[in-house]
Amino acid sequence: MTPGVEAVARRAREVVPADGVVDDPARLRTYECDGLAHYRVVPALVVIPEDADQLAAVVRACAEHRVPFVARGSGTGLSGGALPHAEGVLVVTSRMRAIRAVRRDDQRAVVEPGVINLDVTRAATPYGYYYAPDPSSQQICSIGGNVAENSGGAHCLKYGFTTNHVLAADFVTADGDRVRLGGGAPDSPGYDLLGAVVGSEGTLGIVTEVTVRLVRLPEEVRTLLVGFGSTDQAGAAVSAIIAAGVVPAAIEMMDELAIEAAEEAVHCGYPEGAGAVLVIELDGPAVEVEAEYAAVERLCRDNGAFEQRVATDPAERALIWKGRKSAFAAVGRISPDYIVQDGVIPRTALPQVLAAIAELSATSGVRVANVFHAGDGNLHPLVLFDEARPGEAEAAEEVSGAILDLCISHGGSITGEHGVGMDKAKFMPRMYDEADLDTMQLVRCAFDPQSIANPGKVFPTPRLCGEVPGRHKGAHPAQEAGLAEVF
Amino acid sequence: MGPDPELVDDCVHCGFCLPTCPTYVLWGEEMDSPRGRIHLMQQHVEGAPLTDAMVGHWDACLGCMACVTACPSGVRYDRLIQQTRAEVEAEHERPRSERALRRLIFSVFPYPRRLRVLAGPLRLAQRTGLDRAVRRTGLLDRVAPSLAAMERLAPRLTKPEPLPARAPAAGVRRATVGLLTGCVQGAFFPGVNAATVRVLQAEGCDVVIPPEQGCCGALSAHSGREAEAQGFARAVVDAFASAEVDYVVVNAAGCGSVMKEYAELLGPEAQAFQDKVRDIAELLDELGPVATRHPLEMSVAYHDACHLGHAQGVRVQPRRLLTAIPGLELREIAESELCCGSAGIYNLLNPEPARELGDRKAANIVATGADVLVTANPGCLMQVAAAIEGADHPMRLAHTVEVLDASIRGYRLD
Amino acid sequence: MTTVAVARPSTTAEVAEVLRDAAARGHTVVPTGRGTKLSWGMPVEPDVLVDLSGMDRVVDHQAGDLIVVAEAGARLADVQALVGGARQRLALDETVPGASIGGTIATNASGPQRLLAGTARDLLIGVTVVRADGVVAKAGGRVVKNVAGYDVGKLMVGSFGTLAVVTEAVFRLHPEPEARRWVSVEPDDLPDAVRAVVHSQAAPWAVEVDGGTLSVLLGGRTDGVDARARTIADLVGGDVSSTAPPWWGTCPWAEGETGLKITFLLSGLRDVLAAAADVGARVRGSAGSGVVHAAVADGVPDALARLREAAARHDGTVVVVDAPPEVKAAVDVWGPVPALDLMRRVKREFDPDHRLSPGRFVGGI
Repeated sequence: MTPGVEAVARRAREVVPADGVVDDPARLRTYECDGLAHYRVVPALVVIPEDADQLAAVVRACAEHRVPFVARGSGTGLSGGALPHAEGVLVVTSRMRAIRAVRRDDQRAVVEPGVINLDVTRAATPYGYYYAPDPSSQQICSIGGNVAENSGGAHCLKYGFTTNHVLAADFVTADGDRVRLGGGAPDSPGYDLLGAVVGSEGTLGIVTEVTVRLVRLPEEVRTLLVGFGSTDQAGAAVSAIIAAGVVPAAIEMMDELAIEAAEEAVHCGYPEGAGAVLVIELDGPAVEVEAEYAAVERLCRDNGAFEQRVATDPAERALIWKGRKSAFAAVGRISPDYIVQDGVIPRTALPQVLAAIAELSATSGVRVANVFHAGDGNLHPLVLFDEARPGEAEAAEEVSGAILDLCISHGGSITGEHGVGMDKAKFMPRMYDEADLDTMQLVRCAFDPQSIANPGKVFPTPRLCGEVPGRHKGAHPAQEAGLAEVF
Repeated sequence: MGPDPELVDDCVHCGFCLPTCPTYVLWGEEMDSPRGRIHLMQQHVEGAPLTDAMVGHWDACLGCMACVTACPSGVRYDRLIQQTRAEVEAEHERPRSERALRRLIFSVFPYPRRLRVLAGPLRLAQRTGLDRAVRRTGLLDRVAPSLAAMERLAPRLTKPEPLPARAPAAGVRRATVGLLTGCVQGAFFPGVNAATVRVLQAEGCDVVIPPEQGCCGALSAHSGREAEAQGFARAVVDAFASAEVDYVVVNAAGCGSVMKEYAELLGPEAQAFQDKVRDIAELLDELGPVATRHPLEMSVAYHDACHLGHAQGVRVQPRRLLTAIPGLELREIAESELCCGSAGIYNLLNPEPARELGDRKAANIVATGADVLVTANPGCLMQVAAAIEGADHPMRLAHTVEVLDASIRGYRLD
Repeated sequence: MTTVAVARPSTTAEVAEVLRDAAARGHTVVPTGRGTKLSWGMPVEPDVLVDLSGMDRVVDHQAGDLIVVAEAGARLADVQALVGGARQRLALDETVPGASIGGTIATNASGPQRLLAGTARDLLIGVTVVRADGVVAKAGGRVVKNVAGYDVGKLMVGSFGTLAVVTEAVFRLHPEPEARRWVSVEPDDLPDAVRAVVHSQAAPWAVEVDGGTLSVLLGGRTDGVDARARTIADLVGGDVSSTAPPWWGTCPWAEGETGLKITFLLSGLRDVLAAAADVGARVRGSAGSGVVHAAVADGVPDALARLREAAARHDGTVVVVDAPPEVKAAVDVWGPVPALDLMRRVKREFDPDHRLSPGRFVGGI
């Protein structure tokens, strides 16, 4: 422990209940990674505050001693965004999980950052509302994590991402100051700081309370499971649906290998012998859904669908979705190791990019299972390998990177929802030039001039911030000594 | 010895198990989640010595297996925790007071006769015959209030009679079924066993009840006392060996779950026995009803016992049996996947989290507004009894088979 | 009064040149698209007015991907005309006739469609900006789903040209519906009627009020829309029409009047409308989203104070959007702004010399 971390630990013990300050080596190690387990760093200290006061006090102590801190919710992120800092503090929000209010009349819910995504919907459902962003991990991922990552999900095609559903937040800056961003009402005057914070992957500060928009439950939801002979056919059906002006709540595609994995894991009853399935969900007023369903059904048939199944009850619907939402982890059943990739392409480039991925897979001998949000061109290729076999991990890594290059060359993005985190910082310069990255980091410098909030993530090379607020000057010499080690 | 590294390696760290884990729900810390516990196992596999901290987090696991249900990668946490606990029992020195408590529990609970002493008419009084050491541990104080509440809330149809060694099928015989009477079930809830026998008879089963059967070994197996568990298990297999039954039926979820893993515990020679094991609801559902169901006008909240739902995957069958009763309305309980905190002997070893979970479960149960709480595990009933009694909502407790028994016999359940 | 130099660049590179030059000379700069909202915010007299009306191209429209790329000086109406050819729309309302893409971004002006699609902040997926130091940078991209790096575009939306000059923007598009219907009614109890519509499952596309009139837009497939319009009409009464009311999507104030933007939580509608009636303000706007505009003819300082009190009770704010200079000089145009210190820090990073639209924005930014 550096003297800085020791100082933070002392402060943390003053404000956080004893079992919320973790320094036992075995316990610390359980926090060494998030959902992306191949990056591992043991934090110097873990603090699990119970409320915003405690959290702010710990962050302030970090700022005073220039100790890096990393925020973590449920630890399910897939880009290493919550990877701890070896000489830093991991601030875990899993005990801040109160749903403070569900206000039907205002279509708002106010929640703490550790609240689980699905629990917001569970709390709102009795009022006829739900929380729209639904990452596949919604049963465990936290709202705080969703805010950090600007999480999407299957239904963001129609309903948008976290950023479109977060109205206000209580926020602790990297200095430990507490500010309110946005407001319960729309269009809070001033800069849209909240818009910058959402998706900033914990590099600007930590939210301690979030006001989210609740969406009226649709009158009708119709979930279709459609089997195609090939991904080409399924892709053509997707294009046809979009071209027809239908905006489904979700259109998800899985290829043969992904189907196999899901089937093995959750026995979701996907059509046998399918080269691809689409999960299409239509929602809205019953009359509208009926009309759209007729169009979608016809367009799928026209494009070669050999089987179409409509969920007739919530249980069937849940099973169809379970197959899709478990797909990542389910791949663990067909391959000892795998990389979950996350890239975006313009939807119209789907056929070319899928062909190119198949080509990559064929030439390298690395198997790739494809799961994606077809409606918005968000690919999740799952690159399979066996770490025990020499060379396989490297080959998989290479294919995975090549897929991202494909996305960039087609005018897409290196991440649609998993974030840049640790994993993709090195790809940022391929998508953005130096000036772009420099401009983004102006925001970083405004929020976190000492660069202590989740340092090393998102940006491959940190920008040197112009000035450091005065009160950090004149720290104790011992602390200065500690700082030198950290930076 | 110790957790199998390959099984440990199956965990992809996705975190889907976290929200189903009772201790994670309570405490919100990684070390007390399945993912964290597997991580600790991995540390140990990689050479980290067992520490009190590590063991504490494994001990805090209820073994409810909700994580096994939730895991998309198919991680066998059930095996992992069992292997780990066996290793802990063998290698780790516990504090003296804890050792004494465990010794006491394992010298009482797996033995129906000793339990019966506890369950006797004077069980709540001081004159139990057990020595003062028992009371000093607080064991009795922990059990007694639950038992007393249980007794007030449980249905009393008839006085429990001693079970016969063999009971004939009513009408055409469809199967010959052996019945495991269980330790806790037999001692504290003899009415459940009697109801089980009657229902099986009514549904066309000859029922065989070997008098020499003892504990199934579940408590020992789930606590890492493997050798002890094997001894119990072998005795059970032997007790049923000469009975020539088609099925061995169990009405206590915890017993059923371990008996369905006897081949793992005893080796392949136990496979034939294991294949015959059925939970009572599973068997009745499999056979299909022949006896007439009389109406029971009441609402029922059905609670999934972890060792039935998570460990055996038996969820649909009891619901199907209950909803087939005319007039009966089934209500689901919120957070149904969450353990009630009973978890075998967990509530004796870890009373505080167990009570928190029990209260949480009881609140969810009471919120259904149902007339009767039905579940298939004696431990669960005991666990929530006191909390439900404290709530302002009158409610009875019953085992699934008691409800069926009442319906078939045309009795009311009170 | 100083003389204002006007620069009319026609490319991003030329804008960069103008800004580098201004930086070298220490000149202040105000960017403008079509000049329709130049009077919004606090008045500024810059050394250089960067007129982007020469940058009016619609650079790209990918119908299959539902995106459009347009330069900042392009008229919103022109963009609509172009994408409309593919039966698509950019779901931004032209609240002021002739408005440009850049001006719409800078002011975050919004109209009825915000209930369904949000505002510019929700539709902007990529942006090219020229910084105060003349550096050209972009953020976001050409795909709707993208979380790579900070969302600098969101900071630009509603920043009134104080952080950088936006030169090009990429937006997501929506398909044009087969049919639109408006249900209009003067209900006995307007807040109750709004509430009923907003919580219904008929999926209203817009819920607007004008004085005592409620008008609800529905869009979609013809059969569906007709049925939904009937549902709404059954709920609150009124007539169904396939054309918009004349006031639809416009600001309520006339030349010389003061225009306000009032926001509030939905449950505060009754209170806000009552306060507006009390101070004699005419209200029009997106009641179903918690955003309305109001016109005040006189007594602005007092009216503003009372309206701010009402809005604040419902977690909302009141901003003076447009007003005669003497009114602006007499009131607090932006009202209280939380996190102002953090905003100043952002400003300092982007424009350390305070040369972009100085003083136009909140807290003197």
